[in-house]
Amino acid sequence: MNPRPVVETDALGKRYGSLWALRDCSLAIPARSVVALVGPNGAGKTTLLHLLVGLSQPTVGEARVLGCSPRQQPSLVLPRVGFVAQDHPLYRGFTLAEMLKLGRKLNPRWDDDLAARRTAGLGIPLGKKVGTLSGGQQAQVALTLALAKRPDLLVLDEPVASLDPLARREFLQALMEAVADEGLTVILSSHIVAELERVCDHLVILAAGGVQLAGPIDELLRSHRILTGSRKDAAAVARTHAVIRESHTARQTTLFVRGNGAVAHPSWHVDEVGLEEIVLAYLGQQSARPATETALGLAS
Amino acid sequence: MIWVIWRQQRTETLIATLLLVLVAALLVPTGLHMASVYDSDGIAACVADPSDTCRQTLDSFASRWNTLLSFVGWLNLVPVLLGALLAAPLVLEFERGTFRLAWTQSVSRDRWLAMRIALVVAASLATGLFFTLLMTWWRDPLDDVSGPFSDAFDLEGIVPLSYTLFAAALVMALGVALRRAAAAIGLAFVLFLALRIGIGNWARPNYQGPIDAMWTEGASPDLRGAWIFRQGGEFRVADGQAPDPSVVQGCLTGPEIKSFDRECLADHGIQVVAHATYHPYSRFWLFQAIEAGIFVTMALALLAFSVWWIRRRIS
Repeated sequence: MNPRPVVETDALGKRYGSLWALRDCSLAIPARSVVALVGPNGAGKTTLLHLLVGLSQPTVGEARVLGCSPRQQPSLVLPRVGFVAQDHPLYRGFTLAEMLKLGRKLNPRWDDDLAARRTAGLGIPLGKKVGTLSGGQQAQVALTLALAKRPDLLVLDEPVASLDPLARREFLQALMEAVADEGLTVILSSHIVAELERVCDHLVILAAGGVQLAGPIDELLRSHRILTGSRKDAAAVARTHAVIRESHTARQTTLFVRGNGAVAHPSWHVDEVGLEEIVLAYLGQQSARPATETALGLAS
Repeated sequence: MIWVIWRQQRTETLIATLLLVLVAALLVPTGLHMASVYDSDGIAACVADPSDTCRQTLDSFASRWNTLLSFVGWLNLVPVLLGALLAAPLVLEFERGTFRLAWTQSVSRDRWLAMRIALVVAASLATGLFFTLLMTWWRDPLDDVSGPFSDAFDLEGIVPLSYTLFAAALVMALGVALRRAAAAIGLAFVLFLALRIGIGNWARPNYQGPIDAMWTEGASPDLRGAWIFRQGGEFRVADGQAPDPSVVQGCLTGPEIKSFDRECLADHGIQVVAHATYHPYSRFWLFQAIEAGIFVTMALALLAFSVWWIRRRIS
C-alpha cells in the first residue's frame, strides 16, 4: 500500500469574483479508496474536482495529486488521472471509434485492449455517432475513455445524476468492476447518497464551501449514533461526545452524536445510523465545525 | 494530436470549402464568359485608345455586367462567413463543455490551444487566399477597363485575407467570452460589417491625402485605374478669372457645355482647365497594405485576448 495520500489539499480555496465557491478545504485521500464526495448543489464539489484535475487554478492553498501540482505540473498529473466531467461531455459528431482514437492519440498510457473490451461489452457499434447515444451510453463511453488512460486516480463529477435508475445501476456496476480490476483510487461526487454505499468506502461531506466530515464509511457508521432520552441528560452527553444535531420535543430529546468509540449510556436509547442519516445530519448543521480535523483516515 | 485537431475542425472546414466551391461555381462560368467578350469586343486594344468610339465600347463593356456586379457585391460577406465557420468549432468547445474533456487528456492545454488556433489561422488564410485569387482572376477584364481601386478594393489583393482572419478572430474572442456560438456569430457579424463599412468609407480615403490636380489641355496626369473622388473642368481666361459667359456661349457647337470649339475659345484667350481629386493607381498596394495591416493588427489583438481569456478566466 502506498503510504502517501493520492490527493492532499491544504486550506484549498477558490473564489469567483467576490464569491467563494470553495473555502479552507483540507483533505487527504488514501490510495485505493473509493470516495463519495457529497453535498448540496453549490457546495463546491465541482470546484474541488476541477482543482484536482487542473482545470482550475486555486485562489488560495494548494492541491497535490499523486504528489504533484495538477496546474503547475500537468504533464506529470494529467496522464495518470482519468476525469469525467459533469454531463460527461463528448464530441457529438465523432463516431465511437473516433472518440477512442482521440483517447489513443492524446494519452501515452492508453490501453487499447481495455477500451475495445469495454466498448464490446457495451454493445455499441463503433461507427455510431456518440451524439446519437443515450445518456447512459454516453456516460459509459466517457467512463471508458477515462479508464483506458490507465489512471491511478479516477475523478467523476456527478456521473450518475442525469441517468435513469437502470443506467445508473449499470454505470456503478461498471465502475465497481473497474475498481476491482485496477485497484485505482476513485473520487466521485454526487448528491444522491442511496447508491453510493455499495460502491464507496470513504465519505467526504462538503457544504457551505467547506469540508464538514471526512472518513472511512465503516468508521463513520460506527462512531455516529442517535440518542433518544431525557433533555436534562443532554449536557452530560455533550461533555463526552460531539453533538452534531439535537432536537427536542416536550417528552424527549434526540441527539445525533459522534462518539469516541462505543456510545453506551444507560439513560439513553441508542440507535445505529445509516449513511444517508449521517449526510443529512451534517448538511443540516452547515459550517459549524472547523475543517481542520477532517483529514481522511484520521477520524475514529 | 494533429489528427484530433483536424477532426475537431473537419466539419466546419468542409462547409467552408463547400462555400468556396459555390462561389467558384458562380464566378468561373461568368468569368470565362466575360473574358471571351473581352477578347471578341477587342477591349484590350481600346484600353490604350482614347477615341470616342473606344470610350463607348469600354463603357458598354463595363455596364454590361452591372447586374452580375451587384450580385458579386454580396461576396463581400464571404470573408466573415469563412471566419465564422472556421472559428465556430473552438467556440462550441466552450459552449458544450468539451474543453473539459480535451484538457484532461494527457496533452497540456497550452499545446492544445496553440494547435487549435494555428489551424484556424492557417485555414482562414488559405480560404481567404483562394477567394482573393478567384476574385482577382474573375475581375481581370473589368480591372483592365476601370481598375480595382474604387470598385473592387475589398475583393482583391491582400485585404480579403486580413478580413477573413479578422472575422475568425472576432468570432473566437466573442465566443470564448460569451460561450455561446450563435450569439458570438451574430454579434461578430454586426461588428464586422460596421468596422468594414466604417473603415472603408472614412479611414481608407485618408490613408494618404488625395491628390488635387489641375491641368490644361493635353497635360493630363495618369488617371488610369485611379480612385477618383471629383473630376471636372472649367473655362478660364489667362488671369484665372471666369470668362464672360456670353463669349463661351458663342463658342459652343451644341446644346451641351461639353461640345465646344477649341479654336474659338483660344481666340478669346479662354483656356479649358481640368481638375481631379484622386488617389493614383500607384497607391493601390500601399493602401492594401495599410488596410490589411489594420485588420491583421485587430485580429492579433483579438487572438491574444482569446488566449488570455481561455487561460485565465475559463474554469
